Amino acid sequence: MRRVGIFGKKLNRFRLVRFGRWILATALVWLNAAVSLAAEPVAVFPEVPYDAFIVYESLAVFWIFIIGLIVIIRMKLREIERTQRLGADEEDPNAPLLQ
Amino acid sequence: MNCPRLKDWLDERYDWGGIKSLVKGKLVPQHRYDLWYYTGGITLFLFILQILTGMLMALYYIPHVNFAYESIIEIVTKLNMGWFFRSLHHWGSQLAIVFLFIHLFGTLLLKSYRKPREFLWVTGFILLGLSIFFGLSGYLLLWDERAFAAVRVATGGAGAFPVIGGFIKAFLRGGVDVTGDTLLRFYAFHVAILPILVLALIGLHLLLVQYHGMSVPLSLEKENRREEPFFPNVFYKDLMIWLVVLGVLVTLAVLLPPEIGVKADPLAPPPENIKPEWYFLFLLETLKLFPGSILGLNGETIAIVVVSCGILFFFLIPFLDRRSARGERSPLFTWISVIYLVYFLVMTAVGFFS
Amino acid sequence: MKLDFSLITRRTFLNTLFFGWAAAFFSGAFYALMKFAFPTLGKEPDFVVLEGKAFKGLANNSVKPFPWGGTVGLYLKRADGSVLALKGVCTHMECNVAYKPEERKFYCACHQGWFDENGINIAGPPPKPLEIFEITEEGEKLIVARKGVKVELPKA
Repeated sequence: MRRVGIFGKKLNRFRLVRFGRWILATALVWLNAAVSLAAEPVAVFPEVPYDAFIVYESLAVFWIFIIGLIVIIRMKLREIERTQRLGADEEDPNAPLLQ
Repeated sequence: MNCPRLKDWLDERYDWGGIKSLVKGKLVPQHRYDLWYYTGGITLFLFILQILTGMLMALYYIPHVNFAYESIIEIVTKLNMGWFFRSLHHWGSQLAIVFLFIHLFGTLLLKSYRKPREFLWVTGFILLGLSIFFGLSGYLLLWDERAFAAVRVATGGAGAFPVIGGFIKAFLRGGVDVTGDTLLRFYAFHVAILPILVLALIGLHLLLVQYHGMSVPLSLEKENRREEPFFPNVFYKDLMIWLVVLGVLVTLAVLLPPEIGVKADPLAPPPENIKPEWYFLFLLETLKLFPGSILGLNGETIAIVVVSCGILFFFLIPFLDRRSARGERSPLFTWISVIYLVYFLVMTAVGFFS
Repeated sequence: MKLDFSLITRRTFLNTLFFGWAAAFFSGAFYALMKFAFPTLGKEPDFVVLEGKAFKGLANNSVKPFPWGGTVGLYLKRADGSVLALKGVCTHMECNVAYKPEERKFYCACHQGWFDENGINIAGPPPKPLEIFEITEEGEKLIVARKGVKVELPKA
């Protein structure tokens, strides 16, 4: 601990304040560099609010289309199951040919 | 919609009736677990989407160190809906791997791999490996610092493999280090070599499914069960599920477009808290469990050997599980499957949240 | 008139609905794909800005090419010292044209088309004159613009 004390006294002469200006300047330069290095991230999404709105709107329309298609397929499935229950899906080999 | 002349024209050349009866004859069993049958179809659908969006991206991507990163930025910022298609390709790959794993563990737990379907397991397993390589090679093409570091780690890990590790590493990197040659090589893998292999294997996989028919879980084999025709009933059900998956995929792509980092610099230190794709995390966490050296041997090599043995055992399960091959219950392998599943989930979660 | 039975079966109705809906769905998706695959990138610019120095010192009866989008524009100083800027692409099959000083004409080598020094098609297959640009001077810069385009320089 004594040694530290000696060094401490010597270090005391190199007061931080004396270098304050330089430290501040260097820090500012580094800060500047850091800010410019961390350049703005690449825009991976339309930045204009109007375009972004169009995208969300399209997404909603897309889902409406999907849900509509699913509803239609469900109706078709029910119809298919109904004809299968009736046995109407079997082809009648003796059916007359319509032209 | 009725074209009798076209129908006749085709009938004279092809056995239309034969094809029709073949389609009609395909029946799919209905039971408690039949939801698992759809996971394979979903994966197939996602693969088709990947091929489509991949074709679009290939129109503009430039596989060169100096331009790869810039060309992706051009796709994302300047082209019509470019950001969307890139995002769709990214999320498509993520979901495809998710559904591959669901399909895999479903097959494992329902013991669908048992005799006579061992080859289905084998082709599926190779497809999983190829898909993961697909993901790795596609990840590097972005050529940002995360991709660069991740590929360096992954190919370096392969280098710790005993005896042939150095060869694998050099083959993957196309040199000693990850450079522009690696980028070009991974591009070739991603757009030419892997697609052909995967398409051929998917074809074989589907042919085998048609040949064997759908597997029914052991516990339900004795019950008398209902069956429904594949066409049109199951076909339309498949279509509905595909539509839902498409909707989820597009929603993910719109709401969470993947970020683009800083361009890769081989001289720069890797960014903080770097993580590979989530499907590598369980491997990474496993490697972390091993100390640096065990009994004077390189710990990493031992870890890789242990992991490889675990994967090899996993691969050989259909051939080792003699009881289910005979049609008996085999609780031992159920437990092994559960352990594999839990281990995979826990380790992935640990890697994800650490 | 009221019909006792529908002329359309439930099945036909559902099929039409299904295929119609699916066609609309896929054409929408296809449209998006095509919008990506055929971009508006690389389309012709409305104007280009050139360094005036290189063009003003041009000798009489000679041309200097300048980039116009993905193609070429030609800056012509006629024998009498008047100037003209035009798009150096033949109106026939889009080959680049060359200036022949000895004949004071533009020549397209692809199908032997000729234009005079005002860009008017005079011989060969070209169906219409070359596109003429407007030249304005802005200090040291020359601005070559398409006819009828309002030039808005980006703020530097």
